[in-house]
Amino acid sequence: MKQAWFIIKKDLMIEFRKKEALMSMLFFGFLVLVILNIATGIGSKVASSVSGGILWLAIIFSAVLGLDRIFAHENENRCIDGLLLSPIEPESIFLAKMAVNLIFMIIAEVILIPLFFILYNNEISGRLPMLIVIVMLLNLGFSSVGTLVSAMSSGIKKNDMMLPILLFPVLIPLIAATVKSTTELLGGAGVAKYSQWLYLTGAFDLIFFGSSYLLFEHVIKEG
Amino acid sequence: MSETVFLKIDDLKKAYNGFSALKGINLTLHKGDFLTIFGPNGAGKTTLLRIISTLLPPSSGRVKIFEYDLEEHPEEFRKSVAVISHQSLLYNDLTAKENLEFYAALYGIGERAEKIKELLRLVGLYERRNSQVSEFSRGMQQRLSIARALINDPYLILLDEPYSGLDQHAATLLKKQLALLHSQKRTIIMVTHNLALGMREVTKVGILVNGEMPFFRNRNEMDADRFDETYFSYVSGNLQ
Repeated sequence: MKQAWFIIKKDLMIEFRKKEALMSMLFFGFLVLVILNIATGIGSKVASSVSGGILWLAIIFSAVLGLDRIFAHENENRCIDGLLLSPIEPESIFLAKMAVNLIFMIIAEVILIPLFFILYNNEISGRLPMLIVIVMLLNLGFSSVGTLVSAMSSGIKKNDMMLPILLFPVLIPLIAATVKSTTELLGGAGVAKYSQWLYLTGAFDLIFFGSSYLLFEHVIKEG
Repeated sequence: MSETVFLKIDDLKKAYNGFSALKGINLTLHKGDFLTIFGPNGAGKTTLLRIISTLLPPSSGRVKIFEYDLEEHPEEFRKSVAVISHQSLLYNDLTAKENLEFYAALYGIGERAEKIKELLRLVGLYERRNSQVSEFSRGMQQRLSIARALINDPYLILLDEPYSGLDQHAATLLKKQLALLHSQKRTIIMVTHNLALGMREVTKVGILVNGEMPFFRNRNEMDADRFDETYFSYVSGNLQ
């Protein structure tokens, strides 16, 4: 498990040097929020049934851009062979890549979520703790299945096209449950009103993490 | 006195989607042997090296280093084996030193700083230790790739077309490095289709054609000067 930390450190060092993933994630998320804000009327308060969708549209699509980069460095010069030749377990590679993806998502969310509340004139006070819970539940499920799918598609030509095609059908239940609970939260509902969506998101997190963790070795190694 | 068998491969086969890439390879190497396997493109050379290095599972057959079986103890193989290929396995956006530090950490090497310094000096890149790999020429990347491969002090070094893309100067430096590694009693397997460069330093020679190895000899049992004739007699008619 200690070796997973070395991979995280290496990936973050490369990212903070090149800023490829984070810059494209932030720029894309910013663009989505601003364009939809213009479309819905600048400064006007958007109905909670719509704003939950806008928030997650910006986050999910920008997260896919980050996901696209997490195996990119391993593919240049076949560095993935270097990892697989070392005594590190494939599960540690999975945990490291998932952690890197989580870190990218959290950094993007720390900037995009406050921007969303400013642009869409939404009240954040009192809702922040529960919003953090919803965001983290989505992040866990997204980054675990995303890491697996990214590893699958990283060896494929036209990877940037294949990744969303493979990823979104799997993620639809998780995204739907997250959007539902966010919409209720932003509409001022109590936790009892959307707790079933939170449980559903948590259940998908467990399924996605468990299956991705177990399948990763078969995906990353050649047959 | 008989030498200890270091690497033994028995009836190794590999098939992908019905295509037989390897059709029953047998070979035995002793510690310090330097085997070059020649063969045309698509003969199965890289597949053989990828199986020995644990990157690819065999369809059937056995590979053993000392008493360790590849399928039962892949971790023992990974500790003992290094791969140098035309792909450097180096991160372009890290410096030479950072690349070696990363691989040393993965292998759990203690006293990393001293080991890295020693390896960078060995391959003549100590002065460029803080330069990113993306700034290196192909030859410099290959030298750093040798340092990377030696980080875990491997017993067995696998070379997959290591001269590919190297200029004359870089190829000469690589020849010197290989001679040094061989003098350190490391076992080396190189696959190449370059007859001139592949015959240097070797103790054993094999020819792989269409997934089979019809020729496998000690160098002192063959006429090295006429090897090109031997090679073409095996591969003629099998060229793809």
